[in-house]
Amino acid sequence: MRIACPFCGPRENSEFSYLGDAKPKRPGPDAGEDAVYEYVYLRDNVAGEMAELWYHGGGCRAWLQVRRNTVTHEILSVEPAAGAGAASVTP
Amino acid sequence: MVEPSWTATTPLSRIYAPGRHGVKNDAARLSMAELTGFELVQVMARRGMWSPTDQACREAYGQAAPAKPQATRAEGALLIWSGPDQIFVLSPRGSSLERARLAFAGMASLSDQSDGRTLLRISGIKARDMLAKVCSLDLHPAVFPAGAAAATSIDHTSVNLWRGEDSAGDDGAAVFYLLVFSTFAESLWHTLLDSGAEYGIAIDAATPWQG
Repeated sequence: MRIACPFCGPRENSEFSYLGDAKPKRPGPDAGEDAVYEYVYLRDNVAGEMAELWYHGGGCRAWLQVRRNTVTHEILSVEPAAGAGAASVTP
Repeated sequence: MVEPSWTATTPLSRIYAPGRHGVKNDAARLSMAELTGFELVQVMARRGMWSPTDQACREAYGQAAPAKPQATRAEGALLIWSGPDQIFVLSPRGSSLERARLAFAGMASLSDQSDGRTLLRISGIKARDMLAKVCSLDLHPAVFPAGAAAATSIDHTSVNLWRGEDSAGDDGAAVFYLLVFSTFAESLWHTLLDSGAEYGIAIDAATPWQG
């Protein structure tokens, strides 16, 4: 599997680390215990298209948001994650 | 009280053996050297400050800060792309830290990596073949011309790789430079020696980087 880093170009997957689902957002301080529990522990087990966070640690050290089909490993899109590249993306 | 005395050595000095390595029955088709005596500053533009950083770079170094994987020759320095909104400024040992501090004050964060990285030069007609065994990038001249750079991994070790001017010697071959974390330098050096052994390697004496 290769990931086309928007900064470096296509690279082998051993240059990347996988974080997981890009969807969970950290709940606010008043969101309550259930929301925090869900944020920390509960994940969808998606068979199909999924937005994921990958880290290009073996290259430009940017965080990327990758849309990937978990069944076929087809990569549908790769973009810088929020905050990757101080000027290019606003968080 | 005994005063401790420290002798500065290069990261590879413990294992560095100038001379021939690998097959010796023919002329060496590969040259490798550790380059010393450089200063390396990591420049990371702060959020939203890439444009002023680029402008400051033009004023201080006479060249745009590379915004894509390239190594640009500038006044008294080589500017090497290292990631989004980040560059390395590589200079011969001197006052480059102060120069960078003045140039990028307030717009970029600087980090002195002069002792944090080891600089290697790889050249010769088999340089590309040797690298092809350990590096997953396409280094064909059509894809990776002189001045191209990359942040990648070799043997699971993060490196910054770029191609300099072709050799002025009689072989006219491509010249590649590698920056690697100093603590990984021995390991990477062994890997590269193994990879190039079949071509015969001339290991040059470690010399200061001249720009």
